[in-house]
Amino acid sequence: MSIKQNNSNILMGFLAFSVAFPIIVVCSAWLLPGTELWGHFSENLLPELISSTLILLLGVGIGVSVLGTVLAYLVVMVEFPGRKWLEWALFLPFAIPAYVLAFVYLGVFDYSGYAQVWLRELTGVSGFDIRSGHWAIILTFVLVFYPYVYMMARASFKRQKIQMIEAGKMLGASPISVFWKISVPLARPAIAAGLLVTLMETLADFGVVSLFNYPTFTTAIYSAWGDFRSIEVAAQLASLLVLVAFLLIYFEKKARGKAKYYSSDVSNIKPYHANGLIGWLLFVFVFGVFMLSFALPMLQIIIWSFEKFTQEWNPRYLDYLSSTGILTISATVLTVFVATLLALPSRRKSNSKVLQILIRFSTLGYALPGSVMAVGLLYGVQNISLVSIYFGGSSINHILFGSVALLLFAYVSRFMAIAFNSTIASSEQIKPIFEQSARLLGASRFRLVKEVYLPMMTPGILAGALLVSVDVMKELPATYLLRPFGWDTLAIRVYELSAEGLYERAAIPALIMVFLGAVIMLLFNKLDRDNK
Amino acid sequence: MTKLKLILSVLVFAIFSTSFSTAVLAATSDSITVYSTRKEHLIKPLFDAFTSNTGIEVKYLTGNGGALIERIKLEGKRTKADMFITVDAGNLWYAASQNLFQQVKSEIINNNIPDHLRDPEGFWTGLSVRARTIIYSTERVDPSELSTYQDLADKKWKGRLCLRTSKKVYTKSLVASLIYHDGQKTTTDVVKGWVDNLAATPNAEDNHVMSAILAGQCDVGIVNTYYFGRLQAEKPNVALKLFWANQGSTGTHVNISGAGVTKHSSNKENSIKLLEFLSSIEAQKIYVELNKEYPASQKLKADNLIAQWGDFNQDKMNLSVAGKNQADAVALMQREGYR
Repeated sequence: MSIKQNNSNILMGFLAFSVAFPIIVVCSAWLLPGTELWGHFSENLLPELISSTLILLLGVGIGVSVLGTVLAYLVVMVEFPGRKWLEWALFLPFAIPAYVLAFVYLGVFDYSGYAQVWLRELTGVSGFDIRSGHWAIILTFVLVFYPYVYMMARASFKRQKIQMIEAGKMLGASPISVFWKISVPLARPAIAAGLLVTLMETLADFGVVSLFNYPTFTTAIYSAWGDFRSIEVAAQLASLLVLVAFLLIYFEKKARGKAKYYSSDVSNIKPYHANGLIGWLLFVFVFGVFMLSFALPMLQIIIWSFEKFTQEWNPRYLDYLSSTGILTISATVLTVFVATLLALPSRRKSNSKVLQILIRFSTLGYALPGSVMAVGLLYGVQNISLVSIYFGGSSINHILFGSVALLLFAYVSRFMAIAFNSTIASSEQIKPIFEQSARLLGASRFRLVKEVYLPMMTPGILAGALLVSVDVMKELPATYLLRPFGWDTLAIRVYELSAEGLYERAAIPALIMVFLGAVIMLLFNKLDRDNK
Repeated sequence: MTKLKLILSVLVFAIFSTSFSTAVLAATSDSITVYSTRKEHLIKPLFDAFTSNTGIEVKYLTGNGGALIERIKLEGKRTKADMFITVDAGNLWYAASQNLFQQVKSEIINNNIPDHLRDPEGFWTGLSVRARTIIYSTERVDPSELSTYQDLADKKWKGRLCLRTSKKVYTKSLVASLIYHDGQKTTTDVVKGWVDNLAATPNAEDNHVMSAILAGQCDVGIVNTYYFGRLQAEKPNVALKLFWANQGSTGTHVNISGAGVTKHSSNKENSIKLLEFLSSIEAQKIYVELNKEYPASQKLKADNLIAQWGDFNQDKMNLSVAGKNQADAVALMQREGYR
């Protein structure tokens, strides 16, 4: 290993460590003395919380994997009526913040929602409480998060070698057995990556679970902090989420085994044509998912927006828009930049085990509730200040607290998983032969990266940028705590209104966010096409 | 590469320009800075009125209670916050217990705001009153059936009760006040009875409690009156009515929104001016108009809509007690499975 390589390993290690910094601070809460709160929690809260969290993860995991994979397979492999526009329309739910979708669903489907009122009037059945039990909240999460799996699986299906499928067909395999025996196994890493992100986000969610009043692990975290004023126990509990996420990543890697998934063929030919009734049935199914997860909630949001427009619209919205825009763009560029560096193929093979683990660890911020991570960051800065004061320097708190820089730092830490998953997925598909031939031709590492790796990783980098930008735009808890004066974003406006129960007014900033998200999505779709 | 350069330079520019602009803003000496858990649309009109009266500018940052308290704590002596505004006596009590406030002795405030709505030592003061009481369906409940919060634990309400989640401060402070009046044991029985009587999973919002009663899922609930006020302003003939709880005993539970001047305020004089202004009749009127809350000031009559709900006796327990008892209240509710 050359000295250059060594230096760059150290540099990467430092980078990964920086990203992981808030997570490390949160985990270090175990160094603080425990409290009697643990006794109360483990007796009265944790048994129920753990079981309901596991049920939620299981339900959501199965739901998004099945729905996301089936949808992706259909739009890539099968020609059916409406396929073309549904293919990109299925991305759109991703633009709706989960808590917004949750309050729309509750407004429509809860006991007092008009869907249930209408059903009771029509059939005379008695109403039911959709917030009790597990299925309604699982369904909500599935409809919000399936695009993660859909997106990854779709990209993977598109890369699959058309010959394999053709061979399967010639050997007389039915579309369903081609799906099970060829397509899904090949797409497994992609599905697993989408699933991983979904599960982490479900673990960290606070908005949806509090609207449903569903007990999950975050309930205990917020109870420790908000009710018992123990930030230590809150951080200790939160670090358990980090542990779970780490295990999930471990199992994902394990399940993938040593298999390498190189592929390159891209084809626009659809192997299957669904004509007549079957084609229309497929259309109804895919269209139904689109209606439920996007069109109907949007319709409700648009109706509310019209009703409350004059009451809510004011010039401050220009500020919300510009803060949202600047933060989203800066955070996306930074996050994707760091993720690309960490995912470059030449690093992967040569770097040490420690570095690999550190890089993986740096992606765990996604499983932490945003506000816990944000406070971790504040405490981290405070500790640096204390060290600095000890050595005769001065505190840096007042410089960093409430600065855009710190907020951007939080975004990078929080959304590294999203960017890294995309960039590493594309990087893993680069065959080692490229590096070898470049070396043989005497190309410098810089040229190798610039002229070989970056172009080949572009789809992954763009996908990462898209996901991160939409996520940053929707982000609430960290922004709420860390933002500088006057930097209110659209997400904050949505929260402030809905926290006061003013859902109809909250529909206006929500609508603008969804619109922006949809524009980003379309932009991405265009780039995706141009790349071919 | 040029594209990348462009993006990077925009980024660098964004970071520098913003750090710079905050530095400039902080430099104006007369202005004061408020951290608030009360949402922007409920505080901005008050600050605008103050600025037009005095010429003193008010900057503000909204946020969540626990998180903002941590931020003020960590900012320490160099905190930008001159004042912390929050809802719920428990939060005010906690901020005071963490040494975030300084004592304010002001005759104006003492004259405007009654004793039980202020911290005994002057660290914080209540600025608006939110009464939390029973609400019922006028179609299915005869008000003669109703009496107290404790009575809602009675078997006759089985399957007829809707409550807001125990995670919300208003529930916590109400149960904290029950512990103060009746003790742990009786309150445990009451909470157990409530949970047994629930018709649905506790709701995230008072609004949802009211919708559930209207839809027939349950018949009674407990809400803060201003949520009902907002609903009534939109639908004057809504089939719901408030019932003043515990009039024969301890009085209806009230909570407050309030504020204190931070310990490390760099502009104590103007901050006290703002606090005094917020307790004045002019500001109290804005509080009432904006959110249908009760004024904390004794000098102001409630507005028309609120006045038609009638007079009631407030629970006179000093609200710092609610803060002290809150952790006990939460532990109790969690033991009894009140989500």
